[in-house]
Amino acid sequence: MKVEMKVDYYPGDTGEFIKVIEENCTGCGDCAKFCTRDVWEADGSIYRPVNLKQCVECGACWNVCEFDAVIFEEPKGGTGVRFSYG
Amino acid sequence: MNEYDVVVVGAGCAGPAAAKKAAELGLSVLLLEKSQVPGEKNVSGTCLNGAAILDPDLHYIVEGPVERTIREMRTFHINEDRTTIFHEIPSEGILLLSVRRDHFDSWHTEQAKKAGAEVKLSTTVVDIIEEDGYVKGVVTDDGTKYYGKVVIDAGGVNSIVGRKADLIPKRKGYNMILYVTVCVHLGEEIINERFGDCIEYYLSPGIQHKTWPWIFPKKKTVTVGTGGYMDEHLINDEFPNVNKYMENFLNLPIVKKKLEGGKIASWGLHLEYDEAIEKRVKNGLILTGEAGGFVIPFLGEGMPEAFFTGMYAAQAAAKAIEENNFSEEKLAETYEELISDNFFMQAFRHIAAVNKEAILSKSDEEITYMMQNVIMGGGFISNAIHTKWMKGLEDEDMELIQEAYDFMELIQPYAKVDPDFENLYNERRRK
Repeated sequence: MKVEMKVDYYPGDTGEFIKVIEENCTGCGDCAKFCTRDVWEADGSIYRPVNLKQCVECGACWNVCEFDAVIFEEPKGGTGVRFSYG
Repeated sequence: MNEYDVVVVGAGCAGPAAAKKAAELGLSVLLLEKSQVPGEKNVSGTCLNGAAILDPDLHYIVEGPVERTIREMRTFHINEDRTTIFHEIPSEGILLLSVRRDHFDSWHTEQAKKAGAEVKLSTTVVDIIEEDGYVKGVVTDDGTKYYGKVVIDAGGVNSIVGRKADLIPKRKGYNMILYVTVCVHLGEEIINERFGDCIEYYLSPGIQHKTWPWIFPKKKTVTVGTGGYMDEHLINDEFPNVNKYMENFLNLPIVKKKLEGGKIASWGLHLEYDEAIEKRVKNGLILTGEAGGFVIPFLGEGMPEAFFTGMYAAQAAAKAIEENNFSEEKLAETYEELISDNFFMQAFRHIAAVNKEAILSKSDEEITYMMQNVIMGGGFISNAIHTKWMKGLEDEDMELIQEAYDFMELIQPYAKVDPDFENLYNERRRK
């Protein structure tokens, strides 16, 4: 059996709930390494949360960043990832 | 005016328990939840421990939407040369209740509402209000301010409230477990046939990183979970992400056969913080559930801790309001006393501490071999006892052996399921 990432989302704009603080980012790539959903991509010498629409809000990027370069907030009320079965 | 006695943030496990209890104690309560439907942003093990629910405070929990009553446990330890299977039937009674969080948390929130709490869904808390050194309330994403004499944070592992209050530490990556779940639809008949009312734990190199993969049956689906500690070995060329552990797990021959014909109905991902948070209380604020570090991912325990701490926070808030004193000291006094009196929570902390010491220092191959040789059957509790026992033998330390024996005696009521739980379940479900 293949692991199929079957995830639903509520409609609506989540807002930019994950951001990078450019001056803190060293480009180490830990955010991208621990992201299961390929949200982060290299952009020159730093990383950016380019594919925010794929995010499932686990917080791994914020938690692993040793340089406090990740701002991780919550999507706007009633938007973002929607899990079933829990 | 948006003023309440208690503002509760988050309608997962801890939040509704806190809001319900606070309302029952006569307080005015507001419960805020970011998702449209409570439970739809949650991923967890989804099995509620009967030993915890036997606490009279939690009896009402069995009236909720239950997918399946779990009565047995199997543990599979699989190495290249040997597979051992422990089949434990602790008693004729119910061991765990398997639930769906989207259904269960919604029901639980409804109970809080019935008790008198006001509930606002689709409402994300973005900040706290702090005045004169006290947390006085929260700000939501539309800029609305809600004031509470006491704020109860039940916002989960990455809680905004706990972070803004500087209680949840900024960096905690290497104390965390990242795990992935898939829900496989098989249909009720096949699940009855292949799994029955039995949960399964697995250990095998390549299917986890120092954690315990599991398969928990629900009504028509099974939830499969695995993952690992977020240390420098979790992700590498062979394991580019946690899905690879899951893929290996699903493709173990024994698992493959059990899931044959199944379809993945949903996928989920969650982080857990595997270290107690230093401080759970601040002037005007109490952290509960995962936000307060009340989760033992190592043992797969968390939901009962959340129920308990939610309720205890409500009791601490009620006492503080009665005495008009919302200081950290006042809130902590009641909160910590109730927690330290809870045998279930204390026993599980003890088991986790003993297990972690033994397991995190070993490779997954060594752990699998070790578990195959556990002298008193599989499982975490046995391992906790076994570790002390073996260390006592090695060091010729009779005190350690005595401790292992005492602990084995101590956990007897929890090692087998009290028939009371079966009675409680049947009686409450009849309602």
